[in-house]
Amino acid sequence: MPRHVACVMDGNGRWAQRRSLPRTAGHRAAETTVIDIIEAARAAGVEWLSLYAFSTENWNRPGAEVDYLMRLVRRVVRKHAPLLLARGIRCRFLGAADPRIPRELAQDFEDLATLTADSRGMTLTVAFDHGGRRDIVEATRSLIRSGMPAEEVTERLFADHLPFPDTPDVDLVIRTSGEQRISNFMLWQVAYAEWVFPEALWPDFRAPDFLACLHTYRRRDRRFGGVPPQTNGDPS
Amino acid sequence: MTTGTTTTADEAPLFGPESQFRAFFDDPRWALAIIRATVLEAAHPQIGAALADNSTFVAHPWRRLRNTFLSMRHMFDADPAVREREAARLNRLHARMSGSDARGRTYDAMDRATRAWVVAALFESAVTMCRLIGQPLDQDTMERMYAEYRAFLAALDGDAGELPDDLNDFWRYFDRVVEDELENTEAARIILNRLFDHLPAPALLAGAPTLWAAGRAVVGPLLGAITVASLPEPYRRKAGLPEMPGAPTLMQGAYLAAGLTRFLPEGWIDAETIIETLSLSPDSDDPRARTVAALRARMKRASALLRLLTPLSDETGPDPVPAASRITGEGRRSAEEFFRQVLDQTGDGHLDWPDLAAMAREMATRLDLDEPEETRLYDAFAAWWRELQATLDTDGDGRVSVDEYAAAVPSLAGPALIRVAEVLFDATDKDGSGTIDADEHRALFRTAFHRDLTTTDGTYGRSAFVGDFLSFMAGRRTNTPYDPLLADA
Repeated sequence: MPRHVACVMDGNGRWAQRRSLPRTAGHRAAETTVIDIIEAARAAGVEWLSLYAFSTENWNRPGAEVDYLMRLVRRVVRKHAPLLLARGIRCRFLGAADPRIPRELAQDFEDLATLTADSRGMTLTVAFDHGGRRDIVEATRSLIRSGMPAEEVTERLFADHLPFPDTPDVDLVIRTSGEQRISNFMLWQVAYAEWVFPEALWPDFRAPDFLACLHTYRRRDRRFGGVPPQTNGDPS
Repeated sequence: MTTGTTTTADEAPLFGPESQFRAFFDDPRWALAIIRATVLEAAHPQIGAALADNSTFVAHPWRRLRNTFLSMRHMFDADPAVREREAARLNRLHARMSGSDARGRTYDAMDRATRAWVVAALFESAVTMCRLIGQPLDQDTMERMYAEYRAFLAALDGDAGELPDDLNDFWRYFDRVVEDELENTEAARIILNRLFDHLPAPALLAGAPTLWAAGRAVVGPLLGAITVASLPEPYRRKAGLPEMPGAPTLMQGAYLAAGLTRFLPEGWIDAETIIETLSLSPDSDDPRARTVAALRARMKRASALLRLLTPLSDETGPDPVPAASRITGEGRRSAEEFFRQVLDQTGDGHLDWPDLAAMAREMATRLDLDEPEETRLYDAFAAWWRELQATLDTDGDGRVSVDEYAAAVPSLAGPALIRVAEVLFDATDKDGSGTIDADEHRALFRTAFHRDLTTTDGTYGRSAFVGDFLSFMAGRRTNTPYDPLLADA
């Protein structure tokens, strides 16, 4: 069973275009899938689930669509906060530092993280306004500021300076809609991840599809290029 | 301590455990009476001007309340040495307060007639409180209590000559001052109109701003209305205070309800415990702090849930909760935040000498300084003020505004600030050992060493102390031991 599963939620726009709907309708339809997958992952015993919701590059999309996304995310966060709390899911938001994020949304992110900080069921990391390279640059800055001599820097020590250093390496990445790209997602953590590319668009993706991906993962032979399974995260 | 007017035979039991004053200490009705007395005091033009200039009660009301309470405790202590020491400290503190009000009239916190009025307002409020709750004091108790309050004044001033000898004359004196001398001062207006509506949360509740604001929105106006209704009629007329229908009933109801707490088992309500608990900071090492920290975490989560569950009224609706701490991040305050929370101690929107004097006062109080250490500390702060004024006051109006401060932030750590840190270190290092041990640290910060503090052999050296002080004052770092000392309400 993969310990840490990450999903790149791709295909909302195409899902809407195929139905001659505005792109925003695709984002709205994604909400159902998100809740379904969270539930399926929890039930299957996945300990860490990460969702790639909005990348730093997505700010380049049309202004109206970005606005709509912000409002939609805010509504989803508020709507499902009690459920996430009741399910014992610890929520946190990776990235979410851009001043373009509305203040109210940032407050909601913070509130949801505070509210579920003590939950122990499953950790849900939502990568919102996240960029893998930016995290690495930030970690480098923090490392330099800490004044560590260059020869003492190890992979483990470097990982401690990444946001949420307790996050273990990603074991499985699911990218829907058949696209086969990394798109600057959690670059450090996906170093040894297995990738699965189901053809379904994200709004059509459901719990059975998710379980099928877990099954594919279990049949894979993970070799880590001869490196021990966990290079960061839990030191066990 | 001779009063000259009360017989010495009376004196010993006056401050004993049976004193009337002590009986009121743990009485929740007293809280209402204290608010009323404070308004009456602030309505005196001299006291009003001194309060408006020097007092920290707007920005740091809880700290001020705690200090006042502890000071009263000492003033009524059974041990005469404690009383004399506290009286001397209060006199030194007040001797540093003088100036002039907005209309150019001078005030002096050492003025004897003015100080008599402070005691008179306290005494009259205690008597009125008993009348309002329907349990008026009998003549003997009242006279005994009056003697206690006169002795209190005598302890401060040497004698109680400014207050009439006789209780009957006192009422004439009181009415005359209300009629002739009290004014609609700015300080009284602030207490009645602004303080309760904008009361910052005490340290205990600082983590739950939403809950605090919700409770305050209900209780604040109520407290204001109750206090107004309990003031003497001539003053209400003079100050143009509203006569609200139902306010007298509300006021009497509130006093009665507070009076009912006397049926609670003894020891349930203890003013000291309440005040100490409210001032508890979550990172203090007090055994209660763990409970408090857990409570705060729960309240923080409760307010988070409350905010998340509040229906979205309008997508563009203004968010009442400032997100300043989130934006600056990395454990540093923004310049504006630091100005408001730390530098502007009197809460008037400007930085001037009384703000720094209030910092010196708070530190001297905590360290329980005697002369000449106290003067050294004040002198160091005064030198820092001159340095600040020289570098920051660009428009030359004698005080520093937020904008002037924000524009010149990097130059804040001058030699005078370092000098303040050194003097503070010497004052904290009571035994002159060159290091601060755990007890000395506790005296200033009310907490033991922090885990991440750079200590060697369980002590805190001079350079580390100076460095930490500078990183708080100049680097605006948050979560330092200085936060409960200077930043908390």
